[in-house]
Amino acid sequence: MASRTVAKDIITLRGSAAIVSEFFGYAANSILYNRGVYPEESFAKVKKYGLPMLLTQDEGVKSFITNLTAQLSEWLEAGKLQRVVMVIMSKATNEVLERWNFSIETDSDVFEKGVSREKSDREIMREIQAIMRQIASSITYLPCLDEPCVFDVLAYTDMDVAVPFTWIESDPKLIANPQMVKLHSFDTKIHKVDTLVSYKNDEWDEQ
Amino acid sequence: MDPETEFLSSKRQTGNEWELFKENVRPLKRGRNVDLLNHALKARTNDQLKKSLLENRRRLIEAIDEYQGDDPLQPWLDCIKWVQEAFPPGGDFSGLVLIYEQCVRAFWHSDHYKDDLRYLKVWLEYAEHCSDAEVIYCFLDANDIGKTHSAYYIAYALHMESKSKMKAANDILNLGISSNAQPIEKLRDAYKKFLARSMRRPNATEEELKEDDLPVRSFGTVLARGESQRQAIKTFELGRNKLKQDQVHRTPLSIYNDTNMDVTRGHHSKPNTGSNSWHTLGGRAERNKENNAMPAKWTSHKIPQRPVPRIVGAVASAQIEVFVDEECEEKPKVHDEKDRTSSLQLRELDGRNIKKETELLRENPLRNFPSNSLPR
Repeated sequence: MASRTVAKDIITLRGSAAIVSEFFGYAANSILYNRGVYPEESFAKVKKYGLPMLLTQDEGVKSFITNLTAQLSEWLEAGKLQRVVMVIMSKATNEVLERWNFSIETDSDVFEKGVSREKSDREIMREIQAIMRQIASSITYLPCLDEPCVFDVLAYTDMDVAVPFTWIESDPKLIANPQMVKLHSFDTKIHKVDTLVSYKNDEWDEQ
Repeated sequence: MDPETEFLSSKRQTGNEWELFKENVRPLKRGRNVDLLNHALKARTNDQLKKSLLENRRRLIEAIDEYQGDDPLQPWLDCIKWVQEAFPPGGDFSGLVLIYEQCVRAFWHSDHYKDDLRYLKVWLEYAEHCSDAEVIYCFLDANDIGKTHSAYYIAYALHMESKSKMKAANDILNLGISSNAQPIEKLRDAYKKFLARSMRRPNATEEELKEDDLPVRSFGTVLARGESQRQAIKTFELGRNKLKQDQVHRTPLSIYNDTNMDVTRGHHSKPNTGSNSWHTLGGRAERNKENNAMPAKWTSHKIPQRPVPRIVGAVASAQIEVFVDEECEEKPKVHDEKDRTSSLQLRELDGRNIKKETELLRENPLRNFPSNSLPR
């Protein structure tokens, strides 16, 4: 019986940065859709990762996310990005209700020795698909966001990174005593991305 | 180190039962604790865990009776929250509806809790489980419960909206605003959204005039609760449909009855009564009559009853004996006077009774209340 070897693709640093930043763009859209931050009608369906993914058609949000992913890609290529957090806050009170935390581990060898890695593209896509499915299924346990919300994105970088023009230094916007759920990860062999969602304990006596 | 960083660096994993069994989980507005959820899902196939769940429930019910402090509502809330988390599918066997009912009935006359938001929330959650919650809202109105809170007006108005009673919903929201219910911003916002929705509605005025509204044909989108506001009309596979599926079973299906001529009131097309209607398809109303008719008594046809010998006194043998594991057997307790009205009732019920009682409550949520408390 012949054994099947999975065809591997070469992953370069640039390629990996593109995969991760693209992932983040789609994940951000998915979160905005599934959590109802923007109305459903403002999203359009596209096919990506073998799934129907939703992308916002709102020009403002679109360009925000495009600029964001471009910046993330730049940081990823420089190996300076440690974490990206999408924060969902109440519009009325600015209270942080939910945090989608994507933490990134970068293979330092790639920078020091300039090597590239091998991994099947399909396998990476399957890993990302698993995360996207989990994001959509998270309504199983996440509290209902029944008030208007806004979102923001925080990036944790190495200390020696200059703050770009369109970004400002910020406090971490943490949730006190959060409930936390770890979702699947994906790994391009150059960047490994862990996903965590944390949310507020919704209590009986909250308005 | 913040909790998230700590969690990530610890390499701890969250179990994925929640994802594997998500069809069996009823989403809660308040959200769920994932560890409890995973535990509860594992318990379905693991007797040890199941026992520990039952043990927990017992303890929480005891806590209600043994509570000595000055906030007797609190142990009820702990129990409710726990039952919701421990019985993820919810449903008629969880006993949740019974607990809601006993809780609200325990305190309905208490001035102490009239304005308590937590107490109101128990009522509102109870209402969400009933087939027609209007009687609950009337009760709250008549007994002045929760009327300082926006949540009351919002829920009541949403309910009326789901029955297409737009004017009533409008009045309720306005009343809430003029009563300065808190938080007022939330109420104003809900009103704005309501207005936007009512603009989008077709035949808005026509529906208001109808006395007995024909149930609008839908599959779960009728219940305009906060959660289902976001139900997609075009459905996408990922995630969104679960809330919809869960809410369908609460509104009873109306059963077609040929003799009920009311079916056609308000619709444009006339039915082809009597005549051989195979030549014409009939108007939309007629074609759709199975889904639109109001149920009425079946008076036209009698089925002869087959005489069955009545067995007196042999009831015990006719019952199916439920096998109870030794470990799970409940030790008979000595009941004292208190138990008449206390929550210990819950413990005595087995699965069958819980389901039956739950169904009765769904239909008539105030059935156990003294008649002098009910609104006229």
